[in-house]
Amino acid sequence: MKNNKGQLKIQQMAFMLIAITLFFVLVGLFLLSFKLSSIRTQATLLEEESARGYANKLANSPEFSCGDSFGTAEVNCIDADKLMTLKANIDDFEELWGKGITNIKVIRVYPKQESGECEGNLNDCNIITLKESSEGFGASSIVSLCRKEVLEGKSYDKCEVARLIVNYEDWRE
Amino acid sequence: MKKGGYLEISFGWLFALIVGAFILFLAVYFATSIINQGQQEQDAQTGKNIGILLNPLEIGFQDAISPSILDFPSETRIYASCTESGDFGTQYIKISQKSFGKWTDTNIKVPFQNKYIFSEIPVEEKEFMVFSKPFEMPFKIADLIYILPLDKKYCFKDSPEDIEYEISYLSKGNLFYENCTESMIDICFSSDNCDVNVEYNKGAYGEEGNGYVQKEDSKLYFEGDALMYAAIFSDVDSYECNLIRLNKRIEKLANLYNSKADFISGKCDTNLKSDLSLLASSARTFRDSSDLTILKLISDEVKNKNEDNIKCRLW
Repeated sequence: MKNNKGQLKIQQMAFMLIAITLFFVLVGLFLLSFKLSSIRTQATLLEEESARGYANKLANSPEFSCGDSFGTAEVNCIDADKLMTLKANIDDFEELWGKGITNIKVIRVYPKQESGECEGNLNDCNIITLKESSEGFGASSIVSLCRKEVLEGKSYDKCEVARLIVNYEDWRE
Repeated sequence: MKKGGYLEISFGWLFALIVGAFILFLAVYFATSIINQGQQEQDAQTGKNIGILLNPLEIGFQDAISPSILDFPSETRIYASCTESGDFGTQYIKISQKSFGKWTDTNIKVPFQNKYIFSEIPVEEKEFMVFSKPFEMPFKIADLIYILPLDKKYCFKDSPEDIEYEISYLSKGNLFYENCTESMIDICFSSDNCDVNVEYNKGAYGEEGNGYVQKEDSKLYFEGDALMYAAIFSDVDSYECNLIRLNKRIEKLANLYNSKADFISGKCDTNLKSDLSLLASSARTFRDSSDLTILKLISDEVKNKNEDNIKCRLW
């Protein structure tokens, strides 16, 4: 009789300990899932901020900006001639923006042009695509798009309004 | 019949003690590893955030961009290291922060191919001053970013007038050119027994100067004020590494402008193709800062030709 009571107590204790262990495991799993979801939120926020940062920064980077080509240097001015050259040599610059940037596109918005990708002549098209993907977070900024043109044998500067679109997907080495 | 000296512990107690200790051990182990992982995650995120915060500093044209303050919640070490490999090399930012009196240890480095950061490695403080200056050779290559601990005071002794002017504009109470005290880091432009010694030759016709910065038995040559600040505030290896990275970009940009010259050749003539090829090849063979003089000579030639050609400037 005494032995049976002792066995019952040990069984109770064992069940209690298993219950406590299970409780801690469940709390741990809950914390882990909460933490993972917060990491995902943080990563998305960083993607958004990076995309916005790049949309503003890219237009003023040496590979895009007008510099003094069309008068005095101005913020958010993209050299369309340089952009077309960059498009042809995009492999050389692939590493520069890191693997995070998935999409770089400049769309001319004013004056209205025929829609289509520019392949050499900038007069009858409105899109210059350097990289294309819809992955990651997208951001855009309004820019001036300037180029050299010729009229009656004389060259002149022509500037239009365009939108620079950048997509960024978080990536870590 | 009890025997004296024996500790009577029932099986139930023994079982509870062993399993209880095991549960406590597991709880402490997982709590510690979650805290460590959280700190690593925090460090990596801070590194990434610094990269994003530095973006607005990279749209400069002629002058230094007004400095901003990076304020961290605790003591922070920023490791801005650099590697030359790849088409553009890489700038890494690694962060370590003080937590419960100990520095967090993380191997997560955030890479950037388009940033050039000049600072000591590591630079340690709670608040940092950050500013940037555009670097041109002869076209704009990048905005150089400088990170200084806010509590360190620098004294620019006998510096040229335009440097004094710039320092007074940049200073956040940490850069001086007069009223210096002994606790400050002396940067001397006319004597050679200071913490940092600068041999500065003024440029002609309002151009920025050149020379070298003597630091830790090394001579870091510079062309222009952007590189002078870089040599003063940077770690020696980091300066040379970032110079090589900048030259990789000069080569790529020179080739890009060369292709642009072809692209617009039907509209106007730039007459710069052979000079740009020479600039690209000398940037490709660049080894260290002592090669800057020859690069600058070629760059000046290209710059003058481009500026003279008002109707068809390439940049």
